[in-house]
Formats: sequence, structure tokens, C-alpha cells
Amino acid sequence: MKRKVAIIGGGQTVHASRRHDVNQGEMVNEAVRAALADGRMTMDDIDAVLLGNMEFFEGCHLTDCWLADATGAYGKPGLKITTGGTVGATTIVAGAHHIASGLFDRVLCIGFEKQEEGDSSAILSGVAHPLYGRSLAGAAVGYFAMMGASYMQAFGAREEHSAMVAVKARQNARKNPYAHLKLDITIQDVFDSKMLAYPIRLLDMCPTSNGACAMILADEKTARERCEKPVWIRATETAHNEQFELNWRDVTNTRPIFSRVCAEKLYKKLGVENPATFFDVFEVYEPATWAELVWYEDLGLCKRGEGFHLIEEGQTEINGPIPVNPSGGVLSTNCIGASAMLRIWEAALQIRNDAGEHQVPKDINWALTTAYGGTNWTVMTALSKKWEDS
Amino acid sequence: MEIEFVNIPMVVDVPYRFAAGSYMARFLIELRDNGKFFGIQCPSCGRVQMPPRIVCAACHIKNGEWIELSPTGTLMGFSIVHLPLTDPTTGLPHKTPYTYGIVRLDGAYSTIEHFIDVEPDIQKVRVGMRVRAILRPREERTGDLNDILHFAPIGEA
Amino acid sequence: MTDRVAIVGVAQTRFSPKRADVNVGELAYEAIEQVLQQTGLEIGRDIDNSISCSHDIWDGQTISDIGITDVIGGHLRNEEKMAMDGSTAAYYATIGILSGEFDCTLLLAHTKMSQTDRNIVNNTAFDPIYTRMLGFDFTTAAALQARRYMSVYGITEEQVARVVLKNLSNARLNPVMHNGRDLSLDEILAAPLIADPLRALDLAPDSDGAVALIMASEERAKQITDHPAWILGIGSCYDAHYLGDRDLADCMALEKAAAMAYRMAGINDPRRQVDLVELGDEFSYQELLWLEGLGLCKRGEAGCITAEGLTARSGELPVNPSGGLLGGVPANVAGLNRVAEAANQVMGRAGEVQIKDVEIAVAQGHSGFCGQHQCVIVLGREPRSLSASAGRSR
Repeated sequence: MKRKVAIIGGGQTVHASRRHDVNQGEMVNEAVRAALADGRMTMDDIDAVLLGNMEFFEGCHLTDCWLADATGAYGKPGLKITTGGTVGATTIVAGAHHIASGLFDRVLCIGFEKQEEGDSSAILSGVAHPLYGRSLAGAAVGYFAMMGASYMQAFGAREEHSAMVAVKARQNARKNPYAHLKLDITIQDVFDSKMLAYPIRLLDMCPTSNGACAMILADEKTARERCEKPVWIRATETAHNEQFELNWRDVTNTRPIFSRVCAEKLYKKLGVENPATFFDVFEVYEPATWAELVWYEDLGLCKRGEGFHLIEEGQTEINGPIPVNPSGGVLSTNCIGASAMLRIWEAALQIRNDAGEHQVPKDINWALTTAYGGTNWTVMTALSKKWEDS
Repeated sequence: MEIEFVNIPMVVDVPYRFAAGSYMARFLIELRDNGKFFGIQCPSCGRVQMPPRIVCAACHIKNGEWIELSPTGTLMGFSIVHLPLTDPTTGLPHKTPYTYGIVRLDGAYSTIEHFIDVEPDIQKVRVGMRVRAILRPREERTGDLNDILHFAPIGEA
Repeated sequence: MTDRVAIVGVAQTRFSPKRADVNVGELAYEAIEQVLQQTGLEIGRDIDNSISCSHDIWDGQTISDIGITDVIGGHLRNEEKMAMDGSTAAYYATIGILSGEFDCTLLLAHTKMSQTDRNIVNNTAFDPIYTRMLGFDFTTAAALQARRYMSVYGITEEQVARVVLKNLSNARLNPVMHNGRDLSLDEILAAPLIADPLRALDLAPDSDGAVALIMASEERAKQITDHPAWILGIGSCYDAHYLGDRDLADCMALEKAAAMAYRMAGINDPRRQVDLVELGDEFSYQELLWLEGLGLCKRGEAGCITAEGLTARSGELPVNPSGGLLGGVPANVAGLNRVAEAANQVMGRAGEVQIKDVEIAVAQGHSGFCGQHQCVIVLGREPRSLSASAGRSR
């Protein structure tokens, strides 16, 4: 990128399954105010406002236009991005490009979803082609169920392993005051939860959350002048997958797919040889437990088919050598338009040493985040504490 | 002071009429009229793709030859669904539990998702199982994916 | 890294009231295939990223870029979707190339208005609690804006009808438009009323179609074509949502978006410096209102200059020589079609609708009802550095 880009502020709402106390605009404004307070700014300091949101989930067309006062976009340049589950990350990427272009110095990026106002699983079935697969689409649950069945059959993992991921996420969430599902659960509790679609049980899936996240990005001069702990966006990468070949369902396939291709490109940009040691913390987008295990492998944190050993050995716990999702992740909080931005904001908090109770107990210099959208695509970002290191 | 929360209930009902396009149309018409499955082959990488589509995404060139596929195939993945998800074409929930899976028809590169006609029991269904497409009777077929009733196991129990 | 950006290829499908023969992906590919052939570029070798503009609710598919991933070359590559008017794709692509991340970007806008109902879709853009149940759509909101604008500035129905007369006549020359025809003022003024003062011919008709563009950094642009259309300036701005928060005769957002774009382009006297305008006449009166918002005439003057023929093809400042949106351009595709038509004029590739000696052209698009979000793109024959912090609010 032509100019350095820093995260100089951010904030999130409390995430919950019911937010009848606020309308969509009021909820978004909570996150915007939190971000401005964190960045010690007012809207007057902001050059442009970018919104990420999937309007079908709220039954509202042109949410960016409706919410122009709540987002602060009134009278300012801006645009709206809609790339599904990745949209929060795509919005940060768009913000980074705005800063790097030299046209803007301070950009406010917002992601939100108020899922309670629509019917999310019917809408997720709408991801399927209208004429091919929509009537029997299993929403996200069916997709991840097939991934889990395929993973167990191929690699000899057991249902305990996915349950361990479920427990880790909710126990971490208990340390995160903003998380939605702060559950003190055990592996047995996961097994006792309702079977949705074999082998996916209720506690294997992310919740349906309402919430918003907002972040302020800035150029180097602004960052150094106005921010004590800027976090630098070092690289971003996006990769999609073709429409009808949903390769994540069959974990044994060896063809190039979005997740591995994206990681490879990102690592090449940064010269990463061993991601498990290069990065100090990971925030990955795992709508279901099995997806976290596949992320371990696709990110190269272990060999193919060995992801379940990482969770079994406790390596990805907050105090393990490869901490993954100390925030509780998407399994604990999923407000679709905000979820991918929350990964980046949580990673930034870790780098700033501001994560509070869920702070990873070691020096965090580099963080990697992933996002996950639709019929398979991802946006990855790499963040660092200092610009000089590499 | 007690605050009263106000919710405005509303159904957003947008009607659509989706054009299948020439590739998908031929697929659906062959299925409806002749009970046959067709894929389309990329002249560059040779993948036989189903549903047929205009461009091979991997090679980014126009797909070429139409290939008739067998109605038999292999179960590549499955799920027994317990959640009464809504069928968006009818607005009604599916009756649970049911088994739904991905099948690779013999000769195809792609897989197709559909219902699998097995007892929804984890002992009765496995990846690698051979299955055959069971279509609705000709007079009941309307030219959409519901013309396939389900895939049923063949050869073995 | 580049500080100059250009449009190097432009392709459009024919627009038509209904394309029952193609699905969204096939429709998009008609434009994509053409623009790749025209520039000799290949997805895998030459295109760094792609940006599409469309709306899930128009497309009837959640995250509807899934339907065009294959044809736009998204497989294992970068693809982003914006739910905005198509003009914003050119705005965002310019920013992406200036950032140094990309050198060559494929842009797409597509919509099949025929597959759903314009009134229902647009009604869902109104806030669900306060205005939606009144059954508003873009046409009824526009009628309020038209009436307010006409009464504040004394614009007559005949002046507005002259926009229709001109644009439908221009559209006859443009092979992509489907609504071109020669009408008399009397015929236009006698068309059935839809929402007073708007009559049937005052509305852009329902259309299906797609537009694809390729934009590139200076170095790449020069390898691809000898006659690119250079981006000289870009600007965007949001107005308020609630109609009650706005004086609908004003165009604050357009004035701000234009100010940003003109600042970048070094334009301080737009009337003198701009040779041609392609703007978003979704409704006939908007051509007059946006002309004023773009600073191309004084407030309230647009009706007179139109009646005097200044904005005709043969006039001093041709406006929508392509036929405009009234000529038959799909919603959302609208703004990218404006950019495409303006770029063709600057590149000298506008065929029958070509105007002589277009050095600088302005394209304008808008999202939302009554032009709530505005986007302005200034194009020119000579390149210009775009690195000044034009978007800074201070």
C-alpha cells in the first residue's frame, strides 16, 4: 500500500440475542460513539464513513442511507459494502485503501447486524442458487454438518474434538464482557445439547446475535500524533471460491481452495515461513466448531488432518503457544455484518494489551485474522504492534 | 420509570421470477422431459460441471460440450437434520429428522445436494455409499430441482 | 506506485425491458466477455481484483455476488461487492488503484428489474418504523421532490418535459438504449399521471442489463490503450434519510460530492471547463436539479438553459447525449452507465452519439430516493495526479 495505515480507535456494542431497547440506528450509534471515544475524536475529525451490512437480514434496502445520521455519514463521503460474513473485514480493507490512496486521513468503518429483525436461516438458505438447491438448502447448519461428518471420517477425529472447541470458545467468552454466549460449559454439556444436524449440536454452532463494531483507521501522521498505541495493518488478502463447488464440505479434497490460497498469498507478502510462530495470536471466523479445526490446517498451524490434535493438546487455549480466538470468537458472538470486523478489533486489542481478562499472557507483536463468507470466501488481515519489525 | 419497548411487526414479501438462463434451462428441461442429467465440460481443464453454467470459473473460458451423466453416484457427505428449516419455495418447515447429502454422479466433477432416502440413523448412512436419483413421475415434474424426489441407496443395504 | 488512474475499456449489454433468456450471471458475462476482448486482457494474467455493484434485494439472492463470482473471475481471486449505484464502483476502484494494492480492476454493475417489482423493492428502502407503511417508493418520493423544486424555483412542466423530449430523442442514436423515440411536447405533457407532477414518460423505464469497465494505473493503462479516459476527480456524499430533514429543492450532498471531485480535478469554473455531462435522470426533473447541484448553472436556471437548447447534443453543454436513464437503463447499473457513456465520449469511442472535442466530462450517479447518496466522477483526455488529500474534512 502507498501509505501506512493504522487502527487508531474502535469499539463494539454489547452483543445479545435481544436488543428491543434500541432500533438499528441506535445500536450502530453505540459502536460509533465507543470508537470515537476510544480514538478521542468527534465526527468532525472523520473524513469518510464506510458501512458493512447484509440488508436482507433486517428486511431493509439501503441501510447505509437509512442510518446516515446514526453512522455519522450525513454530509460526508462514504459507501456500503456487502460481501456476506466477510463484510466487516472487507469494510476494513476498503478503509485501509481509502487511507493508503492519500485522499483521506481518517476513515470510520462500521459493521452491524440486527438479526432479530429478520429470519436469518431462511435468508441464509437464500444464499443457494434460486433454481438449484434453494428449496433444500440446510442454511449454515447443513453445510457445517457435512464438513464435520467428512472431517471425522477422513481423519479419525471424534465428536469430543469439536466439543472441545465449543467449550474453549464459551469459556473464553466468559472473560470478554462484550461476548454474547458467556457459558460455563463442559464437553458433556455440548453432547447434551440439542442435535441440529448430525454431527452438529446446538453448542457446535454460533448464536444469532445483534450487535455492531466500529473502527477508525488513519494515516501514519495522524496515528503518531493522536494515538498512543496505533496498530498497523500490514497486509490484507481476499480470495473467493467458484459458486457451485463448495469444497469445504469435503475436507479431503486437495485442489486449491479459497482459504489455503488466501493464506499462501498473505504469507508471501509478509515473508511468513512458519505462521504458528510468526503470529502471536489468531482470531478466526468459525461459525461452527469444525470450521475452527479446518482453519488450523488451512492456515498452516499444523499439518493436514492434525487440527484436532491442536485442540486436544490445549495448544490453542489463551495461555497455549498458539492462542486462537481468546475473545470467544464467532461461536460466542455472531452479528454477521460485525463478526469479521470484531475479529480485527479483538486482534488489535490484543496487540494494544487492552483485552482485559481475555488478554493473552505474552507479548503480542503480530496477529492474524480471518473472515468467512457465503459459499466460501475469506478476507485475511495481518496486524502488527510496530512498523519497524518484520 | 418503566420503559415500554415498541416493535413493529412486518412481513417483507418480495415476489421474484428468476430466469434460469439457457444453460440451466436445458438442464431442467432434460430432467423434466427425459429424466436425464446433463453436465457441461470445460474444453480446457475437462471438468464436467453440474449445474451447467456459462463459464468454467477455474479457467475463465466458456464451457463447451454437453455430457449426459448417469443417474447413479456416490454419497460424498451427509447430514441428518433435526432443525425444522424453512423451505423458501413453500415457506413451510421441512419435516424432521431428514437426511440430506451431497452426491457425485458418475462422470461428474461437481456434486449435487439433495435429500437421501435412508432412515435418519447414523448407522444406516455412510460416506462412500452408492445412490441413485429417484425422480417424480413424468406427469408430476415441473422443471425445477424438486423433480428429483431424493437419492436412494443401491446395491447394498 | 501510481497517482494516475484511467478507464481503459468499456462494454455494455443492450438494455431491454426484459431479458428472459439469460440469468444474472449470463447477462453479466455478455458485458465482461466484451470488455476483455476489447482490451485483450485475461482474468488470470491481467486482472488484479473485481468490484461489482448490485443489490441482494433486486437480485433475490443473499450475497448476490455469488451469482457472478464465476463470470467475473472471482475464483481464488479478489472480488468485492458494493450495494450502491454503479457510479460508486468507479469511485471505489479509483481508490483501490491509488492505494497501490491493485493495478488493474474489473468493474461490473448488473440488474434485472424485470425479475421483481420496483415498487416493492424500493419501498423496503424506507425506514420500517416511520415511513414504510405509507407505501412510499422512489417515484412517490420523487414526486414530492419535483413539486418542491418546481415551486421554489418556478420551473415549469414544459421545461421538465423538454428534458424528456431531448433524452428520448438522443436515445434513438444509442444502440444500447431501448426507450429512444421522437415525441412532441404535447405528447409528453399528455402522458398519464403517475404521481403528480410526474407522468409516465418522466420515469426511467424498467430495464435489464449490465455494464463492465476496466480501470488501470497509469503504467498499465498506457500498455493497454492509446486513448484512455483519465480519472480527474472523484467525490461522494450522503444526505439525510428522512425527507422531513431535507429541503428537497436543495442538493447539499451533490454540491459536496462535486466540490470534492472538482477540487481534485482543478476545476474552479465548471460551466466553462466541463464539455459534457452524463447524469442520473432517473426522473426527468432530476436532470435540472442535478445540473444546478453540479454547479453547471445557477440555482433555478436549469429549466431555462434546457429550453434554450444549451444542453442539447448541438448545444454548448451537451447533457445526456447518450439518452440518459430515461433512454432505458436499469436501476443500479445507472451510474456505471453514466461513467461508461462519459468515458466513451472522452475516448472518442461513442459512435453515433459522439460529441466533438470532449476534453472533460462529468458523470454523476446517486443511490437512494431523492438522490440521498451522490457520487461524481470527472473524466478527461489528459492525465492528472490525484494524490492531494481531497477527501479531508478539515
